[in-house]
Amino acid sequence: MAARGRLDTAARQFAGDAKTATLSDKWHADSNPFQGLVDPVHLALSRLRRRNYDKCIDVATELLGRHGVDQQVWWIKCRALTNKNGIVDTEFDEEGLAELLLDENATAQVPRPGTSLSRPQSSTVSGPSPAVRPMTNNGRPLSGFSRPGSGLTKPGTGMSLERAMTSSRVGTAMTRPVTTSGRFVRLGTASLQSEPGGAFVNLEKLNMQKYAERPSLAKALCDYMLSVEHNPRKAVELGAAATSAVNFADWWWKMKLGRGYYQLGLLREAELQYLSSLKLQEMVCTYLQLANVYLRLDQPRNALDVYKQSPEVALRYYRRLLQMGVSSSALWNNLGLCCFYAGLYDMSLTCFEQALISAEDDTLGDIWYNISHIAIGIGDLGLAYQTLKVAVAADPNHAEATNNLAILELRKGNVELARSGFKEAGKQGPHAFEPPFNSALLAYKLGDAQESFQLVQQALLCYPDHVESKELLEQLKQKFN
Amino acid sequence: MASVLKKQTFSKEQRQKRNYLIHWLYIRKEYDECLELIDDTLKKVDQLAEYPLFIKGLITRHQGKIHESLSLFQQAGQINPRNVETIKQISRSLFLLGRHKAASEVLDEAIRLGFTEDWEIWHNKGMCLSQLKRLEDAKDALMRANSIQRHDCTFIQLGQILTQEEKYQEAIDVYLEALEFSPENPELLTTVGLLYLRTGENFRAFDFLGNSLTHDPRNSKTILAAGSIIQDHSDMDVALVKYRVAAVQTPNSAQLWNNIGMCFFGKQRHVAAIACLKKALYLDPFEWIISYNLGLVHLHTEQYASAFHYFSSSINLKPDFPSSYMQLAIALSRLDDYDNACAAYEKAIEMDSDFLFHLNYAVMLVNNGQVDKAREQFDQFEALYAEADEETKNSDKDVGVMRSLLMNVLGRN
Repeated sequence: MAARGRLDTAARQFAGDAKTATLSDKWHADSNPFQGLVDPVHLALSRLRRRNYDKCIDVATELLGRHGVDQQVWWIKCRALTNKNGIVDTEFDEEGLAELLLDENATAQVPRPGTSLSRPQSSTVSGPSPAVRPMTNNGRPLSGFSRPGSGLTKPGTGMSLERAMTSSRVGTAMTRPVTTSGRFVRLGTASLQSEPGGAFVNLEKLNMQKYAERPSLAKALCDYMLSVEHNPRKAVELGAAATSAVNFADWWWKMKLGRGYYQLGLLREAELQYLSSLKLQEMVCTYLQLANVYLRLDQPRNALDVYKQSPEVALRYYRRLLQMGVSSSALWNNLGLCCFYAGLYDMSLTCFEQALISAEDDTLGDIWYNISHIAIGIGDLGLAYQTLKVAVAADPNHAEATNNLAILELRKGNVELARSGFKEAGKQGPHAFEPPFNSALLAYKLGDAQESFQLVQQALLCYPDHVESKELLEQLKQKFN
Repeated sequence: MASVLKKQTFSKEQRQKRNYLIHWLYIRKEYDECLELIDDTLKKVDQLAEYPLFIKGLITRHQGKIHESLSLFQQAGQINPRNVETIKQISRSLFLLGRHKAASEVLDEAIRLGFTEDWEIWHNKGMCLSQLKRLEDAKDALMRANSIQRHDCTFIQLGQILTQEEKYQEAIDVYLEALEFSPENPELLTTVGLLYLRTGENFRAFDFLGNSLTHDPRNSKTILAAGSIIQDHSDMDVALVKYRVAAVQTPNSAQLWNNIGMCFFGKQRHVAAIACLKKALYLDPFEWIISYNLGLVHLHTEQYASAFHYFSSSINLKPDFPSSYMQLAIALSRLDDYDNACAAYEKAIEMDSDFLFHLNYAVMLVNNGQVDKAREQFDQFEALYAEADEETKNSDKDVGVMRSLLMNVLGRN
């Protein structure tokens, strides 16, 4: 579920600049197909504001065909294309396989504990305890949403690469692109393909210096380069020319330069640009992008500092969510859970029905898993068993569901089934502490101290402060002496 | 091939030359250095030195590598098959690997060799037998171990077997005997306290638990047990103070949050109680008593539909607790479901004879105009109430009030 929205913040800020462009006075009334209607330039501008991008582009193309050097129309088309194809790139951020393998920015192969994102559960990272806050498949605290970037595990563990290669669902959101720039090139060609007549601007032939002196056009062009053509090299070229043209006094150019450098993989340069941009003007999206740089550099502490500085980031997110009128399965799912915990069982089941209707493959397992919790809550263990079976069928790698299924088997007295269930769950979700702990406890009760010892250590690796695991380990150690 | 031809034989002194150093390093727990020394020694004497192998086995087992330790002990055993220490360790490693039968056979072998007066052998044999579910034999072996030499661990094991067989009084006797021998063992004190709690002797239980807390004030299990007794005597604030200590140790314990929730319930703070109980239910959704308690709280806040849900889930999780049915019946009668409420009362009465069931049933019947049936239930209540002792009678004043009210209505003076 990539949060896909339009880059409208920038559009709003610079829509006013269009007035500086020359007015189209060379319109020939006899060949005007829009005769009797409003001024077509005004129409295009209005459609741009109403976000009817396709129609806006049609009008603008028509106008440009008649008069190719009309800057105003050119600006409108440029913005329309950008807004149509743009993706909110602060969130759409994935590290490709190649970046994972050939990481030039890693300072150490095995980072010191608490300084890296590669082991988010290490004890020095203060966060919600795993016993209270559930984790997603990727070991990230559950927020109800999985964005492409959040599924990313950092290099340095070795395991992340292995997991990336053996991802269960090839071709869905959870798989990793081969390289980041490769994915952007693909996006760029895809967006050009969809436009009749090919590329809007031939970037190779542009005179950057000329555009740099016209800030309103240059800004539109720069956005176009970054989000339609995905050509960060040219964008950096233009940005460098433009920022020196305004005596390095415009935060916007520095932010875009940072974006360009970031896409090129020049993280340190990007950091410098963002920092200097923030000195001129504090913006939420600059903060977000700066934090992204630190995440990529695997410096969680710096990233956290950045997030703390920027106020009300979450508030913005929620507002954006409301504006977009989101009606996703995740939302229904969360509503259902809220209803359940408030004791509104009938409402809760209807919500989950809605969630199931709109669910996609990757969320289906989670939803069934939540329904199983309701079944346990009302004490209907038969239903719980069945829903968990469905959850496992929908998502064969759902560690929590497999774990709970094993617990139900144990309650029925099927010890061997439970044992293999816990083992399977442990393999599916190396981030969760419950399966290895349950396994360890069962092995201990069955008298297999060796297995119990290994498993309890595994559990403690995931959740170093788990009291019960510690007690079990202590008991085992006493037995060994 | 040359080395085979002039095969060296080592004298006893050569093999044992470094034993003192190995022992010294081992008891100082310098395991890495010790292992290095052992490997070096073993290389020099063709892996044929009993003591280094033995110590290496102990260290590897301590590190959790039980398979490796087993094969090391077996090597040592081949060098000197009559060494009882090695035999004991072999059986212990087998025991830890879950091969209880093999472990037990190794111990039998030792006994056959004539080592009958060693408490450890009998103790270990008892452990193996109890894992093999031969409880009577296990008890014999453990008692034999105790007759040779008394140890806390033997007593605890024996007590555990007796508890498993639900012979609580015998288990208590065993633990009390152990306490004569080591009166300051907090684990023993707690276990005795818990057993008294189970047999219903709350005052004696509290004695032992309090005693245990003076020796080990942070043991969360003891705190939980002691707190629950304090709670029974309606001293909620003291119990909450105790739980605060335990919450630091085990913040995610469902039992603890359940008890805290019931403390708040006792203080009539229903919102806090529900919050705590829900947290407990979140942490352990399979625990029936949390659902039962939540039902109680909802019954008191007059949210009968929610109460019904919690009681029904509690019954689903534990169908053999009669009080759940009575509470369910109360919730149902408040929801005006007369027929099902009756069925629930009947079920509760069928399972256990408690005067409360009959009293509540009679009240509901009167409210629904079924005076004859109500009289029947009231008579049964009277019969059971007369048998009850003074303490139970005085514990709940509402029962007396209700009784006299019903007497008037039913004309039974």
